[in-house]
Amino acid sequence: MNSKYPKVVLKNFGIIDPFSIDSYIQNGGFEAFKKALKLNRIDVIDEIKKSGLRGRGGAGFFTGLKQNYTISSCEECTERFVICNADEGEPGTFKDKLIMENDPFVIIEGILISAYAIDATKGFIYIRGEYDKSIQVIQNAIDQAYEKGFLGKKILNTNFSFDIELFLGAGSYLCGEELTLIESLEGKRGYPRIKPPFPAEKGLWNKPTLINNVETFSNIPYIIQNGSEWFSSIGTSESKGTKLFCLSGNIKNTGVYELPFGISLREIVYDIGGGMLPGYEFKGAILGGAAGTFVNDNFIDVPMAFETLKSIGATLGSGAIIVIDQKTNLLKLLINIIEFFKHESCGKCVPCRIGTTLIYNKLKYNKLTENEFNWILEQSEYMARTSLCPLGQSPILPVKSAIKYFKKKLLAYGK
Amino acid sequence: MENKVYITIENKLIEANEGENLLQVARKNGFDIPGLCYHPRLSITGACRLCVIKIEGQAGLVMACTVQVKNGMKVIAFDDELENNRRNTLAYLLSEHNESYDNTYIDELRPLVKRYKLENVNERPISSIWQNIPQKVDDTSPVLTYDSSKCIKCFRCIKACEEIQGKGVLSFADRGIQKYIVAGFGKWGESECDGCGECIQLCPTGAIVEKPNRNKINVNDIDKKVNTTCPYCGVGCQIEVWVKDNEILRVNGVENVSPNYGRLCVKGRFGYQYANHKKRLTQPLVRKNGKLEPVSWDEAIQYTANQFLKIKEKYGSASLAGYSSAKCSNEENYLFQKFIRIAFGNNNVDYCTRLCHASTVAAMIRSLGDGAGSNSIEDFETTDCLIVIGNNIIETHPVTATFVKRGKQRGQQIIVIDPKWTPLVKYADIFLQPRLATDVALLNGMVNVIIKNNLIDKKFIEERIEGGFESFNYLKEVVSKYTEELVEEITGVPRDLFTKAAIMYAKAPTAMIATGMGMSQQTVGTNNVFALLNMCLITGKIGREKCGINPPRGQNNVQGATDVGASPIMYPGYIPLTNEKNRYEVSKVWGVPFETLDPNPGLTTLEIMDAAYDGKIKALYIMGENPVVTDPDQLHTINALQKLEFLVVQDIFETETSAYAHVVLPASSLFEKDGTVVNSDRRVLRLRKTIEPIGESKPDWLIIINIANKMGVNIGNYHNVEEIWEEIRKVAPIFKGISYNRIENQGIQWPCYDENHEGTSTLYKEKFNTLSGKAKIYPVEYQSQSEQPNEEYPLVMNTGRNLYQYHSSTMTRKSDVLNSYLNESYVLVNPVDAKKYNIQDRSKVKVISPRGNLVTTAIVSDEVLSGEVFMPWHFHESPVNALTRNEKDPISKIAPFKYSIVRIEHL
Repeated sequence: MNSKYPKVVLKNFGIIDPFSIDSYIQNGGFEAFKKALKLNRIDVIDEIKKSGLRGRGGAGFFTGLKQNYTISSCEECTERFVICNADEGEPGTFKDKLIMENDPFVIIEGILISAYAIDATKGFIYIRGEYDKSIQVIQNAIDQAYEKGFLGKKILNTNFSFDIELFLGAGSYLCGEELTLIESLEGKRGYPRIKPPFPAEKGLWNKPTLINNVETFSNIPYIIQNGSEWFSSIGTSESKGTKLFCLSGNIKNTGVYELPFGISLREIVYDIGGGMLPGYEFKGAILGGAAGTFVNDNFIDVPMAFETLKSIGATLGSGAIIVIDQKTNLLKLLINIIEFFKHESCGKCVPCRIGTTLIYNKLKYNKLTENEFNWILEQSEYMARTSLCPLGQSPILPVKSAIKYFKKKLLAYGK
Repeated sequence: MENKVYITIENKLIEANEGENLLQVARKNGFDIPGLCYHPRLSITGACRLCVIKIEGQAGLVMACTVQVKNGMKVIAFDDELENNRRNTLAYLLSEHNESYDNTYIDELRPLVKRYKLENVNERPISSIWQNIPQKVDDTSPVLTYDSSKCIKCFRCIKACEEIQGKGVLSFADRGIQKYIVAGFGKWGESECDGCGECIQLCPTGAIVEKPNRNKINVNDIDKKVNTTCPYCGVGCQIEVWVKDNEILRVNGVENVSPNYGRLCVKGRFGYQYANHKKRLTQPLVRKNGKLEPVSWDEAIQYTANQFLKIKEKYGSASLAGYSSAKCSNEENYLFQKFIRIAFGNNNVDYCTRLCHASTVAAMIRSLGDGAGSNSIEDFETTDCLIVIGNNIIETHPVTATFVKRGKQRGQQIIVIDPKWTPLVKYADIFLQPRLATDVALLNGMVNVIIKNNLIDKKFIEERIEGGFESFNYLKEVVSKYTEELVEEITGVPRDLFTKAAIMYAKAPTAMIATGMGMSQQTVGTNNVFALLNMCLITGKIGREKCGINPPRGQNNVQGATDVGASPIMYPGYIPLTNEKNRYEVSKVWGVPFETLDPNPGLTTLEIMDAAYDGKIKALYIMGENPVVTDPDQLHTINALQKLEFLVVQDIFETETSAYAHVVLPASSLFEKDGTVVNSDRRVLRLRKTIEPIGESKPDWLIIINIANKMGVNIGNYHNVEEIWEEIRKVAPIFKGISYNRIENQGIQWPCYDENHEGTSTLYKEKFNTLSGKAKIYPVEYQSQSEQPNEEYPLVMNTGRNLYQYHSSTMTRKSDVLNSYLNESYVLVNPVDAKKYNIQDRSKVKVISPRGNLVTTAIVSDEVLSGEVFMPWHFHESPVNALTRNEKDPISKIAPFKYSIVRIEHL
């Protein structure tokens, strides 16, 4: 960890005991929530809006706007829900796990503030079923929060009542997609729902539902506590605050790092990551996981922010950075990604169900010439246009960028 | 009315209802946007991605099926990009699809393949991969086969099962490209699938194909498809019958038409085999030297006419009687009663309603004024609270039950009251299981709870009940004796359960009751229904939409047969025949001298049999009934029939009853004739001829006319059944507004007083059909049964039906499909009693009552209470009515089929 970068989400990392709510409270925990309870709901939402906080799950939607939609989509609704998406499943992504295992209380506090803001009565943490330790830590944190009166009826003697329930996912990548997650939470098989309506309008049990990523919720207490101005002073013009980056590949210091938006890939790889392992040369990276994009070494100085990456056709996604070196077999890597999509495709819609297999077969079993890659690109584009949910719309991201930046190399494997 | 909106599709201005489905709007207006997963009866799936369109102002492609139309919407349905996209999607589908086609189903995919010029496999943009996908075939169901290689994973079958039928048997296994449909935990044949075939009807690509006639059918070479009414229960499902070479090869539900909106049950879809069965009666038979011998129609009719005349002359008018039939059309029942009244000169005409809902009708007519269900079938879905009492609705009225199950999905509260567990209990909020024949005590107790909790509807009592609060107070006094302790003691139902049920019913904004045989087939049947009606009346749960009382009828024309006058006390349209003015009116329409119409009520069904036993009835004309199996105390029935000098049985098969006949006349089945029937919610529905009469069989109406003519009696000159219906409209005002023309596509509910009247979906909205226009409360007391279990006969037997067989099963047991589900009698015995009497599960046992005995198979089950057993009455080899007794409800004259003391011995 490098101390020259501001800490937001990981402020308590290594300081508090994740099994002790007291140690969280001693370090200023739940002060933000208490502060929020004294504000009007709309003021809480305004503060989040002003902060410029964007969703950390990958899509980067403005959190305050989402909160606003959720409370205003149905004014006569008496029931609203908050869901914390902790079904971390994007390849190369392991940041939510770190938060959950080290500071579960900040997540709960973030959920509580959001719940208060949108007048929700019940929350769920939908957690990846394989995350044994996270489950243990979070469940303990929920139990302690109930004991301390931060959850339950009439919280801290106010009229605000709120419950949180932990729900374990069963290993489907697709259930990390918000509407599929909601289906799953309702006890159904994890199939994506048709959008619109969005969860803010008709989510869990068709009630307005706010669904955010673990990292997103973890930012909220600090925004309320320190103010939106403080928060928006970190980062770039359109990407405020910090981001947890998951660094993997043949570099010295792999791991999760909290860094301000706008930091360059070079700084991440060479300063934070300590550079490449001996014998390896930096040749590029996959940004954002399987549903992410390849970049080559020409982009080493690109600032890591939503808008800057978008301008070069790349994506920040979940914050995964999988470093590619000269020895990386890019074709195998691409096949691996497509095989992953094929395996995780629920099979509901035609383009994704069949397209993932078609592309996989083409890559795996064919002699690959320019024609084959064009064909794959065409199919990925068709899938992106026609698929029902983000899964089928994703292969285009790695496929197109891989071909764009590594075509020569890919063609070389075909020979 | 919905708000009208205007949209454009391909620049054409179109009017639609706000929120209507865009794909449906487009198709209605001639834009043939392709699509395979969409079905108007199902929720939106959005899986096949074929119905892509563009909407001005929206980025990207949109699936038309997922869009609700909004005013001003501008839609592009066809351009090169869209068509290319559709073609690509089709090519994708085809790559995973096994296209072998055997003409046994209608394939929705093939026309699209042609339309998008993808017939040539080698020229497709995507090559086949289906050969490499594991093929899953499930052939374990008696009615269908599933083949994953033909499945396009459109969800239609899953949703048909879940959303339409409320069964939820189907789901996908595996995922991605390997996924396939499974029933239950794996095998169709071992799952809870009950064979309704909804999934077959909705499967677009033949992945689920029906088994029966698969070797015979070629869907591209069918002679005709005819819409008619299902011949089974009283739901009156509209069916589409597929015929080739005068043989029925397939039946589907008719889409978009009430009462079933395309839905069917296993009997309706697969129970047609009887019509073309080789055992059909094809020639008239006359008993000669003790044996039934085939004769010509002329001889049979001449002989029958002569015998009737001879007996009438010898013993007088009162010595003849007839059983009409709930299995025949309105026109035939009408003619039959007209024949009895004119040719026999008496009113001895009745039919099996006397054995089923006579008590319900008797109580409803006295209390409300009409002997029919007060609501529409759709209300079973939309009412807030439904009590189903003495009615195994899922098995006996499966399609009505689909409405109930859909109601449950939208939050309806369901209360099941039944001595025996029924499948509806799985959907119920509350299940009350009273001991047999304790219903009055239970219902009086519930009424008492409602009164004590002040949940009565004061305004309704004041305004709509005869005597107002005076009547109410009398009821209050009677039911006050039925304390929670007493009711619990008599019925065995825990007090908090029936209290909760009473409060739930009374508090519901709207509530309906479905009452069945369990209530009516008792010596206190009429009182049971009175007790139920009292509860309904004091809570004001009638006379409004979604509120009322409904007896789902057991045969497709039980309702109609009484409606058109097959009754010893009423002329067509519920006109009392003892009234001189009524007789005068009828005599005018019929063109007979007023004096020839008998002013005295005739005998009821069981009274006719008793009179035969006593030698008072000498000749009996039975049209489509099988009393040896269906009437109580079988030995008594057989003895009675044997004493007759002349018995005519007119039926489609030889039956247990025709064995005692002197003349057997071969009738045509419902599939072979035109006419109308009336279903449980008073809908007049068309019957249409689908096949020509089998052998020399004739429609019943023609046979009746022929007999009358030979007797020298004029019961009318008709060229077709429509002319008979026109006469019915003249006699019975409730039908006056209903012409064949008006019900060509969809039935109309009586009363319908003129041709501009839309029919009546809910009865009693303004007034009750009594003289005062108000409903009447009939307080009733609980009476214990005259027959009580004792040391010799320690158990009480209940009887009922099963989904897969029908009544005396003369029709259903001709079906291999239905028999494969159930073809064997059984008796349900509670585990406690099984242990006590040393009865092993699935062992042969003898069931003995004071009247007789039978052999059957014991099934040890806690569906019945200890001290009670249950038997289905479908099986002639284990004839339940050998055990029942011929005692009668004093008002309705029904027999107590639901209560006989018995003992069980293992063999």
